[in-house]
Amino acid sequence: MKNIIRLLTLPVFLLMFAGCDKDTMEDINEYKNNPSDVPSKLLVTDIITRTAFTISGSDLAFYASVYSEYNVGIYNQMYNAEIRAGEPISSTTYNNMWGAAYENLYNLKIVMGKTSEGGAEAGNFQTLGIAQILTAYNVGMLTDLFGDVPYSEALQPGVIFQPVLDKQQDLYTEIFRLLNEGIANLGRETEYPSIGGQDLLFGGDSDMWIKFANGLKARHTALLALRNPNWQDVITFADLSFAEGENAAFEYDGAQTANPFYTFFTDRDYFGASQSLHDKLIERNDPRDEVFFMPYPGTEELIFAPNGSPEQAQGVYGVSALMSVTNPTYLLSYHELQFLKAEAYARLDQVAPAQTAMENGIRAAFVKVGLTVEDADAYITAEVLPRFQANALSEIMNQKYLALYEEEAVQTYNDIRRMIALGEDFISLSNPLNAQSRFPVRYSYGADDVTTNLNVAGAYGDGSYVYNQPVWWAGGSR
Amino acid sequence: MRKFALMLVLLIFAGVQVMAQTTITGVVTSAEDGQPIPGAAVQVKGTTTGVTTDIDGRYSLRVPANAQVLQFSFVGMTTKDVTIGTQTVINVVLETDIMDIEGVVVTAMGISREKKALGYAAQEVNNEALTRAGASTLSTALQGKVTGVEIKPSSGMPGASSQIIIRGARSFSGNNSPLYVIDGMPINSNPDFTTGNSVTGADIANRAVDLDPNDIESINILKGQAASALYGIRASNGVIIITTKSGKGNAVGKPAVSLSNFTSWENVSRTPEYQTTYAQGNYGSYVPNTSFSWGPKISELPNDPVRGGNNNGHPGLYFVPQREQAGLDPWVAPATYDNFGDFFQTGLTTTTSLNISQATERGNISFGLGNTTQDGIVPSTDMRRWNAKALGETRLNDNWTLGFSSNFASTKINKLPSANDAALNGAYAAPPSYDLKGIPYAYPTDPYRQIYFRSLTFDNPYWGAEHNQFTENTDRFFGNGFVQFGPKLTETMTLTTRYQLGMDSYTTHYQDIFEYGHRNATGEVYNYGVSSATINSLLTINYNWRINQDLNFNLVVGNELNHRNRKIYDDYGSDFNFGGWAHIANANIVTSNEEKYQDRNVGFFGNLSLDYLGMLYFNATIRNDYVSTMPRENNSFVYPSVSLGWVISELDAVQELDWLSFAKVRASYAQVGMAAELFLPNYYGKPDYSGGFWGGYPINYPINGLSGYLSNNVQYDPELTPQLTNSYEFGAELRFANNRLGLDYSYSYQLVEDQIFEVPLAASTGAAALVTNGGEINTIAHEIILNTTPVSTNRFRWDMNFNFTTIHNEVIALAPGVESIFLGGFVTPQVRAGIGNTFPVIYGSSFVRDDNGNIVVNDDPEAWDYGMPLIGEPKVIGEASPDFILGATTTFAYAGFTLSGTFDWKSGGQMYHGTNGLLDLYGVSANTEDRESTFIYDGVKPDGTPNDIQRGGPDDPDAYQDLITNVLTSIDEYYIQDNSFVKMRDLTLSYRLPKKVFNVVDLDLSVYARNVLLWTELPNFDPEASQGNNNMGGAFERFSMPQTTSYGFGINLNF
Repeated sequence: MKNIIRLLTLPVFLLMFAGCDKDTMEDINEYKNNPSDVPSKLLVTDIITRTAFTISGSDLAFYASVYSEYNVGIYNQMYNAEIRAGEPISSTTYNNMWGAAYENLYNLKIVMGKTSEGGAEAGNFQTLGIAQILTAYNVGMLTDLFGDVPYSEALQPGVIFQPVLDKQQDLYTEIFRLLNEGIANLGRETEYPSIGGQDLLFGGDSDMWIKFANGLKARHTALLALRNPNWQDVITFADLSFAEGENAAFEYDGAQTANPFYTFFTDRDYFGASQSLHDKLIERNDPRDEVFFMPYPGTEELIFAPNGSPEQAQGVYGVSALMSVTNPTYLLSYHELQFLKAEAYARLDQVAPAQTAMENGIRAAFVKVGLTVEDADAYITAEVLPRFQANALSEIMNQKYLALYEEEAVQTYNDIRRMIALGEDFISLSNPLNAQSRFPVRYSYGADDVTTNLNVAGAYGDGSYVYNQPVWWAGGSR
Repeated sequence: MRKFALMLVLLIFAGVQVMAQTTITGVVTSAEDGQPIPGAAVQVKGTTTGVTTDIDGRYSLRVPANAQVLQFSFVGMTTKDVTIGTQTVINVVLETDIMDIEGVVVTAMGISREKKALGYAAQEVNNEALTRAGASTLSTALQGKVTGVEIKPSSGMPGASSQIIIRGARSFSGNNSPLYVIDGMPINSNPDFTTGNSVTGADIANRAVDLDPNDIESINILKGQAASALYGIRASNGVIIITTKSGKGNAVGKPAVSLSNFTSWENVSRTPEYQTTYAQGNYGSYVPNTSFSWGPKISELPNDPVRGGNNNGHPGLYFVPQREQAGLDPWVAPATYDNFGDFFQTGLTTTTSLNISQATERGNISFGLGNTTQDGIVPSTDMRRWNAKALGETRLNDNWTLGFSSNFASTKINKLPSANDAALNGAYAAPPSYDLKGIPYAYPTDPYRQIYFRSLTFDNPYWGAEHNQFTENTDRFFGNGFVQFGPKLTETMTLTTRYQLGMDSYTTHYQDIFEYGHRNATGEVYNYGVSSATINSLLTINYNWRINQDLNFNLVVGNELNHRNRKIYDDYGSDFNFGGWAHIANANIVTSNEEKYQDRNVGFFGNLSLDYLGMLYFNATIRNDYVSTMPRENNSFVYPSVSLGWVISELDAVQELDWLSFAKVRASYAQVGMAAELFLPNYYGKPDYSGGFWGGYPINYPINGLSGYLSNNVQYDPELTPQLTNSYEFGAELRFANNRLGLDYSYSYQLVEDQIFEVPLAASTGAAALVTNGGEINTIAHEIILNTTPVSTNRFRWDMNFNFTTIHNEVIALAPGVESIFLGGFVTPQVRAGIGNTFPVIYGSSFVRDDNGNIVVNDDPEAWDYGMPLIGEPKVIGEASPDFILGATTTFAYAGFTLSGTFDWKSGGQMYHGTNGLLDLYGVSANTEDRESTFIYDGVKPDGTPNDIQRGGPDDPDAYQDLITNVLTSIDEYYIQDNSFVKMRDLTLSYRLPKKVFNVVDLDLSVYARNVLLWTELPNFDPEASQGNNNMGGAFERFSMPQTTSYGFGINLNF
């Protein structure tokens, strides 16, 4: 009997007392399912993907395509955005994108920390430069759409819970600083091997990143047209950027990765073909009218959705015919740059180079949608030039509008707001609600901040500011 | 002399006594099994004269001539009074007392206590009450039978998850379910995977589904923290102590065999009302591929300008393109179809169980086998469960006892998805003009190309039931073995040492398949699962010292170690090459992951009890827990509990009160800690692009063969401290008129502080959430149990029990700057926890209202929504928690017949009922039948005057559809419904054949109905069908699987 007791006692007491000391407990809790550190290039891969797919390609562009009348929202959220019910002012509308942008910025901060002095990869100037440019791009998307946003106090989870808002003016200074530093870093000698294929945008080609950075400088300089017009700089920066055939385009293989506009159709089916875009194309006898739209799959008749007053019905209206699972997402396109240049020349009254740049832009835009340079040239001669001669700036902006259909809608939405600030009405929008002060002049802050950050909650108020308070570069105060 | 006189007097008195005495004899037997009851007390009422029965239940008692009433009593039986009159032989049959008034109950850590000694509320439910109506899961079996407990079934689908929450929630986003302890061994009852936002995919069962209610002898529910404190951190949500059938208490030496079968048929508990006038279409026109039924009148379809046959050489017919796709004649006459009724089938549930047990001189042994086979009302949903168990206990000698309990369960469930992946969208909302059942669901040439009336955002339900597949397969073993050494130290002291080692081990494989052709795309498969093994080591040393006649001292000290190992895997494949082989090897895109976790909890505990005079019972506990899922510096914590029970009826003054049989007051205080479920370092993970607008995964790594990483967006506070629940409870228990009327009241207050939860961070901080301490939630609960036996005669007995519960669960504080926490649903509407609100609430867009709460309409005559409500800002639009729950059980027993019923009344509470609103949106609900009348929306104009704007009618034909589809159904508040209800949980008529018919076999026959919805405020649907196996459960419905009503019969053989 005593033996049994002894036999039992030993393991029991071992379990009791050896089982709960702090080292044992910590060993038990060791987390083995994910790495606690990864090389910065692996972070950059996903930052690029998330920037392209999510920030440039998805919701922000979907809503911009409604406000810019590239598409008509015919169902659910997009329908509400179309009829300006709820969605434009709600803090939940853009919340996923708001969060994704800060997720990018946080990971970029980690990358910049790693590759800066004192970091584990100090001296990896290429990755540092790329991170700075991507930071500038994400901050640019945020502030252009949302205005003043948290930045200087942001990105410190568990330390600062309620970051203050930074002024858009200061954010613009920061964007240019980051782009300039990024360009400088990309030009520096580094011991580190190139990021190579982990760079899904340019395959580790630093020159392309420098061009991209210059292109972004051109874009943002143009957006300052009201506050600080400097059209010569736009031309200079654009010239330092992409040559023909070069784009900051994120490619999808259609299997592992899928184009967001295409996926939005297959998963949601909330868009109809825009009547006002169709009208603009018809007015110009534009051959793109034939390639932009198609009847709803399975139906025969191509029905256009009236802007602002469609029926909330799927399966009725025509849809974009450009959609393809492998279409790239443009972070910055050659044709956009050509139109930026054309606009700058036109505003500087240099008509000839303005025309050249515009024609380059139109040709590239035609090729993008499956037409030919010859198609473009015939169209330019017959329809564009007469209008260009009548009002160069107006035609450039209209051609840019048509060229950016449909995935580059955010830039179009920026242009429209910029032109409103300048008192220019080159692009006519036909949603009747716009006349009732229901054109959203900005995006509403994300709910993840509105519900937890009193600074953002205060700026958000009841959300109605989206209809009457433009961002700073469009003449507003914030 | 004085001594002599005294003796004389005594003698005379004694002589008188002796001369007047008579002797009464008889046998006391049990009504349960007809066996004699040894040891029953037989007493002349109002005196101390009495004897106990012998081994054969016989007694012989000399009673004084003036004695009038004999009282027969035995533990666990109803005390019976018999008037003596002139009888000299009195045979008595004692009934089992359902209230088990003076019984012994198993409390925390297997400590047995007299029920009257408890200083806190605990409620028992026995086997008979659980299994009377053939319920196949524990949670349905418990409904209506206990107080302080809210039971929320998610649907009537076989194996559907169910939430059991005792005295409100303590955690916003974490687990609120009680700990289950089976035969002394804690086991997991929670789902291993949460349904998360619960708007995609299928329900996921919780692991309580593995239990067979038929094998349960009794359940004791420890509701308050004082009751469960000894179990430590895992028991802060209360404990459900389950004792399985063991053979203990059987007649010695004779095996008892019990064989039972329950068979029932299930139907949808409630069928929505549909409009039958209007066809598929939009604004009065027939559109053959829209989800809307806002088309022309069905009878007018042949006049449709495009597809009508009247102008097209097909008079009286119209063209249905889907019929053409199916290779049928596309020209048909208009008709109305019952698509809802067509889709559902009659479900069938059979539960068979066998139990063989035997008590021996030295112990007992039991073997059980059970099978539950359920076919759901929705095609391709079912459950198959096998349970086997063996249990035994034997005394080796006076000091040593050995025992074991082993259980095996195999559970296989086939499910269908709901909400955004709803299989039932079409069954619920197909146009009445569309023949969903009659028109084939796929092209004749390609079974994976669907034919459907609408866009394939949802699959055709017939196609989905045929091709999509959602399964769960679990094999599980749990059990324990123990050895006990309990020598008697002295006459008054015992020391019992018990060591128990147990395990709970299971593997569940889940498979979610959307076959090739789902959403008109190439399909996907998701294989995932968990292997979980928990080892539980428990040592208790129980020292008992009966200090003197009046005072008993009991001390239990112990150690518990609970260690769990888990491996989770998930393999996701999409883009099948072809249909018909929905296997991951047929997928072109495959991602795979595995995760391993282990956690440990070591507790040292002590329990001190003092009993004084059988009247005052004091109990104190203390426990020190060490946990692995907390920061190193904060991984050990100690918390106490004290309770006091005072049986007032033991006071002499009270004992004299004839009308009062029993009175007790009790009070307790407890503190229980709770650790984080996980405590992780910052790490980098594989990016995930699902969610938002995406139905699947638009981006999958590796891209071009390359991987990417992302910092995790949930971080853990390195200063995390344990969450503390402080609770007070006061209660009283009163019984009157020989226990014919019993009343038990409990008041409890709980304050949960330093809650551990994922505090949502402002996105601009760079992370989504920080797991930290914050927030407070308190609960005030009143529970009343009322037991009555209005009639009790030899042949007829009527019992009624009421269980009343009201729980006020309020969120006091969250983290700084945080106003709410998302629990599930969409961005809007969502289920959330919000400060100052009960838990949980529903948040979403609202109606614009004036200060008096009237809905404000648009008074702009130019606007399309002139005279219609305006959409307002998002806010709290509904509260899910009920005002009270009243359960009632009643039993009429007459001769061999027993009629019993359980009723449940939930009063108050609201839910987001997506389907009701969406049936309006789609234009299929009976609400939308009248589309031709003019209407004035009930509300006010912005200037405060009543709305007098008339819309609709023949001159304004689009207005009514605009109102429904573009205004009302785009406001989340429109979907909020009150969902009070009264249900008959079960109604059973059973009959026990008289013994003489079958000499050896007891045969019980029963017929029953279960879950009959008697009344509800909710239109069209049963309120007990909703989304989510987590804290959002019961609050959010959207094309959820329906609830069922069952009718069945049972046969029970005992020999």
